[in-house]
Amino acid sequence: MSNQNGSVFGLTFLCPILNDAAASPSHDLQIRDYLSTLDTRAGSPFAIAPGTHLARLAVMDDVIFVGSPAIEEHLQSKYLVFETNCDSDVDPYIRGLASAVPEHLDAVWQHCTGYPGAADATKLVAYMKACQIPTSFFFAAVNNKSVTQTLTALQTQQAVAHFIASHQGMEPAQLQREFLSFVQTLRALPCPAPCSIIPTGGPR
Amino acid sequence: MSNINGKLYAMNAITPMKPWKTRILRLIFFLLWHIKSKQADLIHLSFIQFARWVIIPRNRFPSLSSGQKQETLKYDYLLFFSNFNGTWNQYIDAFSDVLSDGLNLIWRWSEKFPGSVPVTGFKEYIARVQFDTDYYYTSYPQATANDTKAAHIVVAALDTLAAQAATQTPEQFHAAYLQFVLAAQANLGTLGDAPAVF
Repeated sequence: MSNQNGSVFGLTFLCPILNDAAASPSHDLQIRDYLSTLDTRAGSPFAIAPGTHLARLAVMDDVIFVGSPAIEEHLQSKYLVFETNCDSDVDPYIRGLASAVPEHLDAVWQHCTGYPGAADATKLVAYMKACQIPTSFFFAAVNNKSVTQTLTALQTQQAVAHFIASHQGMEPAQLQREFLSFVQTLRALPCPAPCSIIPTGGPR
Repeated sequence: MSNINGKLYAMNAITPMKPWKTRILRLIFFLLWHIKSKQADLIHLSFIQFARWVIIPRNRFPSLSSGQKQETLKYDYLLFFSNFNGTWNQYIDAFSDVLSDGLNLIWRWSEKFPGSVPVTGFKEYIARVQFDTDYYYTSYPQATANDTKAAHIVVAALDTLAAQAATQTPEQFHAAYLQFVLAAQANLGTLGDAPAVF
């Protein structure tokens, strides 16, 4: 019903992890080991590939027993939960990841049952669709802006704050000239990279 | 394990539901989705960037190969994912204080849910059903949900002023500029690292 809110997509995948008693360390631990080494800033696969606002990966070891009189039950497999808030639906989004960061996808998902590899994007999309769980209710605080638009907006916000602070009390004609120049410079700036430190001063 | 990245906290929770109750919850989600006024409290909790609930029916856990053991569950499961600013305690306190009716409406169908008020029992329940995030990414680690909303407001105000600035007299521009500053000033917060919290 609601994988999408406005122009933002909320995609949820549950990928069964290989259950191989001979694997040492176990596949879930190998996933966790790899994820613990992965850059969470500009070097993140989600920063390199386009269109991710926020994403998370979590190994779900089991369901949770909430106490009696509820029934205690357990999963047969552990699952890798992939939750992403992004600018496109499954097909283009997964193809974007497969194109930009195939080595990271392979490093993580090689430990999952039925993973076909990132080299064949069509098979990968089919696999991810088989793992997808429809989102039941999706909330987005800002639901009509892309990652690029939001990064640009944050850059603009910081530059405007600096411009206002540094132009207080200026004579109107000069203020107008400097404002027009400021806007021209601002619009010529490239969009900041995801996770980049956005300067709090004016355009550099 | 990494539940925190910059100014954001990632929370995951999973709760069991009797399958007949799942149908009721789906209806509730349907109504919440289509009656936007019912989302007002969630929107007013302005520290949430994205949140979602996902129902997994007991027989719909993905099965990818014949070698994978089939799940034999009696419960359906409700997953909850939230991306919020602040600490876990602040979040649960605010959730309980502001959104208690809404939370009860959604989670009362889960086994052993104690209600969101009083908050002590609610916190114990959430702590029990929560599981950790292994990798957490955000494109805006320096920004809160309010920062991103404010930034888009500034852009819209700037675009309006810029569209008329070149054709105005200096006096007209000055008056418009002051109006712009008045409109934008509440949305000019500084980005930066998250404060240390304990």
